[in-house]
Amino acid sequence: MNMSNIISTEQLTAHINEVADSILAPALNTSSIEVNNVTVSFKTPKGVYTAVKEISLTVQKGEIISLIGHSGCGKSTLMGTISGMVKPSAGEVYANGKKVTSPGPDRGIVFQNYSLLPWLTVYKNIYEAVDSVLADKPAAEKRELVENNLKMVNLWEHKDKLPGQLSGGMKQRVAIARAFSINPAILLLDEPFGALDALTKSSMHVELLKLWNLDNRDKTIVMVTHDIEEAIFLSDRVVVMNNGPAATIKEIVEVPLPRPRNKKDIVHSPEYMLIHDKLLNLLIDKFSIEDMV
Amino acid sequence: MKNIFSIKTLWSVLYFVAGMALIGGIWELIAHFTKNEIPSPRATWVVFKEVMHNPFQNDPDYKGIGVKLLSSLARVGIGFGLGSIVAIPLGLLMGSSRIVMNIINPIVQLLRPVSPLAWFPLGLAIFQDSPKASIFMIFICALWPTVINTAFGASSISNDHKNVGKAYGFSTWKYITKIMLPSTLPHIITGLRLSIGVAWMVIVAGEMLSGGIGLGYFVWEEGFNGGSVAKILVAIIIIGVVGLLLDKCFTWLQKKFSYAV
Repeated sequence: MNMSNIISTEQLTAHINEVADSILAPALNTSSIEVNNVTVSFKTPKGVYTAVKEISLTVQKGEIISLIGHSGCGKSTLMGTISGMVKPSAGEVYANGKKVTSPGPDRGIVFQNYSLLPWLTVYKNIYEAVDSVLADKPAAEKRELVENNLKMVNLWEHKDKLPGQLSGGMKQRVAIARAFSINPAILLLDEPFGALDALTKSSMHVELLKLWNLDNRDKTIVMVTHDIEEAIFLSDRVVVMNNGPAATIKEIVEVPLPRPRNKKDIVHSPEYMLIHDKLLNLLIDKFSIEDMV
Repeated sequence: MKNIFSIKTLWSVLYFVAGMALIGGIWELIAHFTKNEIPSPRATWVVFKEVMHNPFQNDPDYKGIGVKLLSSLARVGIGFGLGSIVAIPLGLLMGSSRIVMNIINPIVQLLRPVSPLAWFPLGLAIFQDSPKASIFMIFICALWPTVINTAFGASSISNDHKNVGKAYGFSTWKYITKIMLPSTLPHIITGLRLSIGVAWMVIVAGEMLSGGIGLGYFVWEEGFNGGSVAKILVAIIIIGVVGLLLDKCFTWLQKKFSYAV
């Protein structure tokens, strides 16, 4: 009998605990994103520039949160650490239980400038992303993913058009479809509607929530925005940042308004008005010419 | 739609005719003031018809103008082709890597100002063969515009596009084929267009040195060996028209590959 095959009771218990933990962990761990004491600094010709300093934030699975603040307050930088496009100078970020070191298929990104490749059709733009992230899947499955997501954003008829032939709103819908099609657990939107007119923006909010609902509100969404109304309408929590440099979190405002939210009705809700006022006070200090004394 | 098309083309034709009439007028004046040393447009037209007679006749003692033209074009084609095969990858490398750029760029800047004709004797020494030396000369001169423009294009790929590759984990191959090359292509075509222009100019000068049966040698024969000035003018017109057509090809390519963002 081979003696090395016999393990001790301690080793056996430890092994069983490990297995049990790994089975239970997904159920117990509901935090989707953990930002631990993150600082981001850049070397510039004029010295070291600290964009964000010692920021900690936890986002639960299925939450929608907005990062809001003045221009240059580091919100895009902070989101960059979650997406993996920016490396923290100190601290770490965990997403879906894993440490973030680079962009990955579990986090979909929508950029402010759509960033569609102008020489590829709408269809190909999404297909290449799917092909790159889900390389091992069969081609038929990839094609199905592209088709489903394009249909979800009502752009299937435009699948052979080039981005240059689309309006801003349509381009952003393609970008969103692209992010959704790799089925990430986390969706990161960097001022996705900033370049759109107010009317298009408004319908895009509803579109985004529709897509989120279609997925059983499973996806965690982090959005950077300047727009207070947008932040309140979409989010469960609004993270207000201080002005940069070395920006930190000023306050996190809860938005416990019930879903589904209605654009027309919500503005009459007293709770909405309280939250709106609170955010205005946090972000703006001059409300009329009388404040400019 | 058809109406707009014919009015637009009508105007472009009118502008073209106006331009030709202008230069024709100046030409007539020059012919008049040089007492027909420089032949008038009408006299040149007679010679033109004579030259264009049997353009593709290929006898040992008489080669038609078409044969000469094709001979020049062939040499340009080979030199330009080889030059492009070397210049495009080199430009892409230079644009993508700071290190390669810093090493190769000084060499480019050093060799670029050298007159094409100076490369001919070098080619002769290497290949011991006139036609090959001509091609060598074209090859060297066709490199520079393509290398420089390609390098510029490859180094100025928009960050927005690079971010797509980063965000969606594009492999190196996918990055090169779906982001770098399409983004750089308009610049490559610009470079090629400039290179073909240079190559076409150089072949005419080069053939004067190398002999052979091309258009350049034709000009040399008529011009420097006491032939007909009218024939020189005919050659100039043909060279100009061919150059224009070559340029138009690349302009068409440029339009085909430019994208609205």
